[in-house]
Amino acid sequence: MSLGMLLGAWVATGLTLFIFTFLYRDNPFFKLAEHLYVGVSVGYTIVKAGDTVGVRLLYVPMIEQGDYSLLIPLGIGLLMLARYVAKAAWLSRIAFAFIVGVGSGLAIPRVISSYVLKQIEDTVRPLVSMTPDGLTFTASVLNPASNLNAIVLLIGVITVLFYFFFSVEHTGAGRVAARTGIFFLMIAFGAAFGYTVMARMSLLIGRLTDLIEFAGPEYGSPSLVLLAATVIVLIAWSRWRAREQPERSETP
Amino acid sequence: MLRLDRRIIFLLVGLCTLVPLLYPVGLAINVSPEVRGVYDYIESLPEGSVFLLSLDFDPASKPELYPQAIALLRHAFRKNLRVMGMTLWVSGTGMAEQVIGQVAAEMGKVNGTDYVFFGWSPGVSAIIISMGQDLYKAFPSDYYGRPTNTLPVLQGVRTLRDVNYVVSLAAGTAGIETWYVFGKDKYRFELGGGCTGVIAPGLYPLLRSGQINGLIGGLRGAAEYEVLVGKKGRAVAGMDAQSVTHFMIIILVILCNVFYVLSGQARRRSERHV
Repeated sequence: MSLGMLLGAWVATGLTLFIFTFLYRDNPFFKLAEHLYVGVSVGYTIVKAGDTVGVRLLYVPMIEQGDYSLLIPLGIGLLMLARYVAKAAWLSRIAFAFIVGVGSGLAIPRVISSYVLKQIEDTVRPLVSMTPDGLTFTASVLNPASNLNAIVLLIGVITVLFYFFFSVEHTGAGRVAARTGIFFLMIAFGAAFGYTVMARMSLLIGRLTDLIEFAGPEYGSPSLVLLAATVIVLIAWSRWRAREQPERSETP
Repeated sequence: MLRLDRRIIFLLVGLCTLVPLLYPVGLAINVSPEVRGVYDYIESLPEGSVFLLSLDFDPASKPELYPQAIALLRHAFRKNLRVMGMTLWVSGTGMAEQVIGQVAAEMGKVNGTDYVFFGWSPGVSAIIISMGQDLYKAFPSDYYGRPTNTLPVLQGVRTLRDVNYVVSLAAGTAGIETWYVFGKDKYRFELGGGCTGVIAPGLYPLLRSGQINGLIGGLRGAAEYEVLVGKKGRAVAGMDAQSVTHFMIIILVILCNVFYVLSGQARRRSERHV
């Protein structure tokens, strides 16, 4: 096994255990791992973005291939940095105007087409389908394309929209519709929460799977060694903290 | 029960996850239609078709999406598809390169001939649109600095219109929705998705309306795909733990609600006596 793999196993195990110590209480190990995570993520992003944009997309085409048209986007990009100079800050508006203009122009029609029109089209499906055999009405909860599901979906969309329609008082039939909307919302929140629990458990499974793998003797059993070390140091830290706090509280 | 130390719950969850990982029982895994949608489409592609896998996640979502990536790549390489890999997340570049290289080496595939990894390029929506217009302008060189227009794997591929199937493995935005809005809607390729459990409920409307033809959701989805591919990996290994933990959480939720109701009744009784 390479030294890099071995070192990686020890570092990954140690940082995982340090993060898990937060389940006991906030402590210096957790803070160390947390700060390292943020620092390494930001550092990695900056280096990768710098290498891709600065070297591959600008330096190589311009200097090695003579494509000087890239000076235009480079110039617009550099205008953003003008924000840091008070007298020239207005220049950054040109760059922002360009980004907002292009971004909106690209996004608005596509988003309306994809999220609004397509979804409306799917919601308002014909309930009776014409087939070579004649008119058919399918009713199966298990079939996503069934007419029964289409009816449930339509009721859900209308009642939820009505729940958020505040110009009419929710009384009488309106109250029934709004209450039905709440039921649909609760089901949606429940599904979202269920999936979130599943996702978080998956992350825990991922880390525990690694810890089990790194408990093997081929890695030098970092999981067991570092677990024991972390627990011992955490107990010592807790006792030291317990001694320190009464002393501080006694100090006038 | 209501005043239970939260650390006891953490310990229970930890044990319920750890014990099945150490002693798996092999609970049955049923394949859902949404996962089968992605599998069947890849299965229907003829040899040499172009498959683009966009690994739109970073190491924070590795436990859920890495097994999905491995299973999909194994399937695509086994079908002898031409695989194009890329990412819209700069922080996931190294990991994306690692997974493609790892599976390609396992399946005996050659970089540049059987597959290509483009890496990351800035712009998100702009890069998808640029790929739709001219792939070689969007990525003049691959991740390793080789000019893309000389790579045998890209022979006959000029734009996204020449791609037979795109799958985005997404942990958020940019991801599946971005590929649909700026890619499929205009360039008319078929699109499938894989995602973390957190964002899966939000993607079901796209699945139902046919905007994507399949969805692999979370570790569970990865396990289903591993079953379909016939090579069980980390996702299948984690399913016992997932099931046991979910069962424990359901019991805790029920117990807490029962004690909540009982404590409310007890409080009301004591108030009446006073």
